Amino acid sequence: MKHYEVEILDARTRDKLCFLDKVEPQATVADIKNLFSKAHPQWYPARQSLRLDPKGRSLKDEDVLQSLPVGTTATLYFRDLGAQISWVTVFLTEYAGPLLIYLLFYFRVPFLYGPRYDFTASRHRVVHLACCCHSFHYVKRLLETLFVHRFSHGTMPLRNIFKNCTYYWGFAAWMAYYINHPLYTPPAYGDDQVKLALAVFLFCQLGNFSIHVALRNLRPAGSKTRKIPYPTRNPFTWLFLLVSCPNYTYEVGSWIGFTIMTQCLPVALFSLVGFVQMAIWAQGKHRSYLREFRDYPPLRSPIIPFLL
Amino acid sequence: MAAAGGGSRADNGYGGQQARRRKGPGALATGYLVIYNVVMTAGWLVIAVGLVRAYLAKGSYHSLYYSIEKPLKFFQTGALLEILHCALGIVPSSVVLTAFQVMSRVFLTWAVTHSVKEVQTEDSVLLFVVAWTITEIIRYSFYTFSLLNHLPYLIKWARYTLFIVLYPMGVSGELLTIYAALPFVRQSGLYSISLPNKYNFSFDYYTFLILVMISYIPIFPQLYFHMLHQRRKVLSHTEEHKKSE
Repeated sequence: MKHYEVEILDARTRDKLCFLDKVEPQATVADIKNLFSKAHPQWYPARQSLRLDPKGRSLKDEDVLQSLPVGTTATLYFRDLGAQISWVTVFLTEYAGPLLIYLLFYFRVPFLYGPRYDFTASRHRVVHLACCCHSFHYVKRLLETLFVHRFSHGTMPLRNIFKNCTYYWGFAAWMAYYINHPLYTPPAYGDDQVKLALAVFLFCQLGNFSIHVALRNLRPAGSKTRKIPYPTRNPFTWLFLLVSCPNYTYEVGSWIGFTIMTQCLPVALFSLVGFVQMAIWAQGKHRSYLREFRDYPPLRSPIIPFLL
Repeated sequence: MAAAGGGSRADNGYGGQQARRRKGPGALATGYLVIYNVVMTAGWLVIAVGLVRAYLAKGSYHSLYYSIEKPLKFFQTGALLEILHCALGIVPSSVVLTAFQVMSRVFLTWAVTHSVKEVQTEDSVLLFVVAWTITEIIRYSFYTFSLLNHLPYLIKWARYTLFIVLYPMGVSGELLTIYAALPFVRQSGLYSISLPNKYNFSFDYYTFLILVMISYIPIFPQLYFHMLHQRRKVLSHTEEHKKSE
C-alpha cells in the first residue's frame, strides 16, 4: 500500500507548518487534522481550515485523501478559524437566557419596575398566557437542541456567542419589560384576538417541531448527509411542497401569533428582524439545494410560498 | 462625530493611484459623480459665503444659523445620496460606514437643531456648522479632482490634515448642541411616548439623546485615529512618490 506524504503550509505566509509522512490513502481530512493538532496543540481540529488552494474552499472532514486531486505528496493550506465553540453550547446559552429573563420580568423581580410593583402579578389573563407561550417556545428550543437537531458543523467561531446572546437576551428583556409592565394595555379586540393568536401560535409551534423532526429523520445519526426534504404523512410537513425552509416559515408564524396575542410593538419589531434574518438564511439554503440537487422541485420558494 | 472628512471612506479617492482590482465607476457613473461632487462643493461654498455675509452684516457671530438654515438642510440631507452611491457600487466605500456617518449628520441637522428651536441660537451650532462647512468643501472638491484624475496636492493635504482641528471642533459643537437641547426635550416630551398606550411601547427621547452623547466616547477616538493612520499612509506615500520623480 502506497503511503502519502502531506505537507501543510500556512495559507497566508506559506510557511511550512507541518510535514506528515506515511499517511494512509484512506485517511480522511479529519484524521489529518488530528495529526496536525498533535504537532500544533493550540490549533485543535475544530479551528483548522484545510484547503487545496490558499484561497479555495475548506475541505470537508469526511473527504478521503486518495479521492482528492493530489499526488502522493499532497500540499494543504491551513487557516486558523479562531477560537471555536460548539453549536450545542451556543444554542443552549442563547435560549436559556430568554427563558429566564422573561420570567424575571413576569415575576416583577425588584429593580425592574417601581418598588410598589415588586413581586406583584399582572391582572390581565393574556399576560399569564403570554408567559406560558414564551416559556414553552424556549423550552421547546432547548429540548430540540438536546434531542432533535443533528448539526452538520460541530462548532462556530467563539465571538458568535456574544453576538447571538446579545440579540436574544436583549430582545427578550425588551419585550418582557412591556408585556409584564404594570401599565400594560391588553389587546384591543379582547378575547377573540387572544384566541386567534393562540391558535396561530400553537399551529406554528407544532409545524416548526414537525419540520425539525422530519429534517432529523432525513439524516442518520452521526452522518452529515444532505438530502432533499419531502413531505411526510404529517400534514404539517406538506409545506415542503411550497417552501424550502418551512421551519423558518412556521417560526415567523409563531412570532406573528405572539405579536397579535400581546399587541406589543417590540414583539412586532423582534418578529420583523427575525423574519429578515431567516429570509436571508432561507435564500442561502434554497440556493445551496438548487446547486447540489439537479432534480430539486421547481415549485418551492425559500421561505414564503410563491413570494420569497 | 461626522465632522471629519468622511473618515472611513476609500481615502485614496478614485485617483487610480492604487492598483485596485475593483471595477470602478463607468463613464456615465463618473460623469454623474463629478456633477454630484461639484454641486455639493458649490452648495457648501454657498453656506460658507452665507455665514461670512451674515457675520459682516450683523457684526456678531451669534445666531448665524438662520442665515444658512435652508442650504444647510438641503445640502446635508442631499448627502444621503452617498449611501446610494455605495450601494450601487459606483463608490468603493462601505455602505454601512457611509450610512452611519451621513445619518449622524442628518440626525443632528433635523432631529436636534431643527426640532429643538431653542438651541438654534446657541454658539455651539456655529461651531459644528463651520467645522462641517470647511470639511465638506475640501472633501467634495477632493472627490471632484480625484474623479478627474487631477488632484492638487494642496487639496489632498488639506483633507488629511485639517481634520485634526476640524474633527474635534465639530464633535464639540455637536455634543454641546445636544446637551443644550436636553432640558427642552425633557420639558416638552419631544418625540417621546410613554405608557400606557395600545402599542405597549415607550420611548424617551431625552434618554436616547444621552445615550447618543455617550456613544461618542467609543466612536470618536476610533474614527479620529483611523484618519490619523490614513494621513500617515496617504501623505507619506505621496512624499515618496514625489522624491522618486
